[in-house]
Amino acid sequence: MRTLLKNGRILDPSQNIDMVGDLLIEDHQIEAYGPNLDVADVQETYDCTDMWIVPGLIDLHTHLRQPGFDHRETISTGTQAAAAGGYTVVCCMPTTQPTLDSPSLVDYILDAAASPSSGGAFVQPIGALTVGMKGEQLSDLSALRRAGIVAASDVGAPTQNSRVMKRAMEYCTQLDLPIIAHCEDLELSQGGSINEGPVSAMLGLRGIPRSAEEIMVMRNCLLSLHTGCRLHVTGVSTWGAVEMVRQAKYLGAPVSCDIFPHHFCLTEEDVGEFDTRFKVSPPLRTQVDLDIIVQALNDGTIDCIASNHSPYASHEVDVPFGEAPFGISGLESALGVTLTHLTHKGILSPLETVRKLSTAPAMVLRLEGGTMRHGETPVAQITVVDPNHRWRFDVGRTFTKGKNSAFHGMELQGKAVVTFCGAEIYRDAAFPESRVTTSRKRS
Amino acid sequence: MSRNLLGIRHISAEDLRDLLALGTEFKRRVLQREPLPRVREETVGLLFFEDSTRTRVSFEQAAKYLGMNTVSFTGRGSSMSKGESLKDTILTLRHERLTTVVMRHRMPGSAQLAARYFPGPVLNAGDGEHEHPAQALGDALTILERKGHLDGLIVAIVGDVEHSRVARSNAWLLSKLGAEVRFVGPKTMLPSHTAMLPGSVHYTLETGIHNADVVMCLRLQKERMLDGLLSSVGEYARMYQVTRQSLEYASPDCLVMHPGPLNRGIELDDDAADGDCSVINDQVENGIFVRMAAYWWALDRTMDDLKKVAA
Repeated sequence: MRTLLKNGRILDPSQNIDMVGDLLIEDHQIEAYGPNLDVADVQETYDCTDMWIVPGLIDLHTHLRQPGFDHRETISTGTQAAAAGGYTVVCCMPTTQPTLDSPSLVDYILDAAASPSSGGAFVQPIGALTVGMKGEQLSDLSALRRAGIVAASDVGAPTQNSRVMKRAMEYCTQLDLPIIAHCEDLELSQGGSINEGPVSAMLGLRGIPRSAEEIMVMRNCLLSLHTGCRLHVTGVSTWGAVEMVRQAKYLGAPVSCDIFPHHFCLTEEDVGEFDTRFKVSPPLRTQVDLDIIVQALNDGTIDCIASNHSPYASHEVDVPFGEAPFGISGLESALGVTLTHLTHKGILSPLETVRKLSTAPAMVLRLEGGTMRHGETPVAQITVVDPNHRWRFDVGRTFTKGKNSAFHGMELQGKAVVTFCGAEIYRDAAFPESRVTTSRKRS
Repeated sequence: MSRNLLGIRHISAEDLRDLLALGTEFKRRVLQREPLPRVREETVGLLFFEDSTRTRVSFEQAAKYLGMNTVSFTGRGSSMSKGESLKDTILTLRHERLTTVVMRHRMPGSAQLAARYFPGPVLNAGDGEHEHPAQALGDALTILERKGHLDGLIVAIVGDVEHSRVARSNAWLLSKLGAEVRFVGPKTMLPSHTAMLPGSVHYTLETGIHNADVVMCLRLQKERMLDGLLSSVGEYARMYQVTRQSLEYASPDCLVMHPGPLNRGIELDDDAADGDCSVINDQVENGIFVRMAAYWWALDRTMDDLKKVAA
């Protein structure tokens, strides 16, 4: 079985390749790429003229909700949403019920992800750093690692006790397991639902001070520096947090970080009249933060862009602001928002865009993928992107169960149109049938 | 056609003037026993998710003066305490044939949510720390009666501004009508950002009430001490209690106000609370008349409509 992606712009940040050419997938493996490939016996040809051919996108921060919160998302709907968003790998957070802190649950998730009902994206579980994410006793991280977790994290319940965090880092260094840290001092953020600033003062909502994030970014970076543990800070949102990460890198700490799309294009003022779709953690900040963040994306201080896919049922969101959960469903909008607000504005080159969404996440967690190098991925993970396709993001047309999105109704430029993940192919209506040529093999 | 009174922030200066004029006219009619309009077809649901006696009574009184039916709902023992969502509660009331909703809820923005699902007027009777528009209207009417105007007045709001819906609504209303608003209190109780909330910040009582025409004290929630906002009630009283002595800094005929309930000896001493300049009881009484105005205005009726109600 041979599939040829013809005449696209091939972008592979792992090899700094940016060229127009063809890419051949044979038996679900990337077989060759280059200008004007001369290939016979092609079963399917995709005309990728004016489109990008990139390594499948990799998300470091997805909440798949299953088991326990299937009304918000399932592994099946979440992976379908991933494929539609251009992702071939999603790393799912341990925010399940029960918490993902035992090997049998890792098995359960991997089995569900491998079942035929799942969409065309691989699932890489992230284990709970501490039992029940309670921040007290370390999970059996060695057993979890053997079962297949790619990182450990206490995400929404960040470890407050510095001694526990130091021990966890020491232990993870020994296992060569990275820690993904959502950085929040829960005492400082207590009761808060938006950024502490002029908008919280106006709306009478309790504010979450920027120091709640920055103090924990600094603590975790220092612990990483002193223990040597690989630390990935997820969801930086303030200029101070960015500067802490920059400093930690300068000092030689094995630190990386990601940002969520809403934090490089929205501010606290978008909350408007208590619109719960804009309630996220960390909260939307200010224009000053956006300015520094955009620079940090450009200069590489911010390594990755993560979707922070946090689906919720409608009834959970249609409540007074203070009672609403934090988070938006991000898998199907992340690429479009990134292209619209960073790439088309000249902040990231096409190659750097793909690096933030695919190659860098793969490197941070040492995953297979994020590259087109022959033999480096078990099966082909390729996404075709139409960078210029104009569309309106509409939650009514998404695969995810979570219709909570700050981007609903937003005009976007650029979309994933075909996602190849091994034998699974997702093709969007924006990639018209007329671009696909199928030929029967002559017998 | 109907309108909502969700907060002062959303209301134009022109509408505020109309509301205050209506309040004045309703007061005149009540005091002079002139005929009042009867709005018999309206049924008001008084929805109090948080305990409140004075605000509920005031809204109920105002409704009765206008001949409206009232139905009271309180948090305890109702469907509201049985896990029903606010949205579903509101949808239910709509089908109970209530035509106007007055609501108090501990969450900021809850009035906005109610208004999304209720077709008739929604009057916010306090949504968390966000707004308390009827209180501000009553306060403004009280000032207006004594001073004759609002523009150019200096109004000092003293106390826990950060956590006060009364302070927010008053700041919006007074500044929209031309007064200068000052927030006075310890740094822990004042908003750290005032770019989107009209008022200047003062940490000492002396500078805050200097030349003030009105001093508005806020109720001190003693549980705030647990939050570390205060060292002790005594220290607060020493620094921010409005007394006959501290009023020396204010303008000679400075009004003293308090939304109640009063912590005598903390926010105010006896002399200030009971002195000639205290208008605390007027605030309560005027609260009823501005609520009549609020119902009338929310039902999209005008001063002309009111004047048609013949003597």
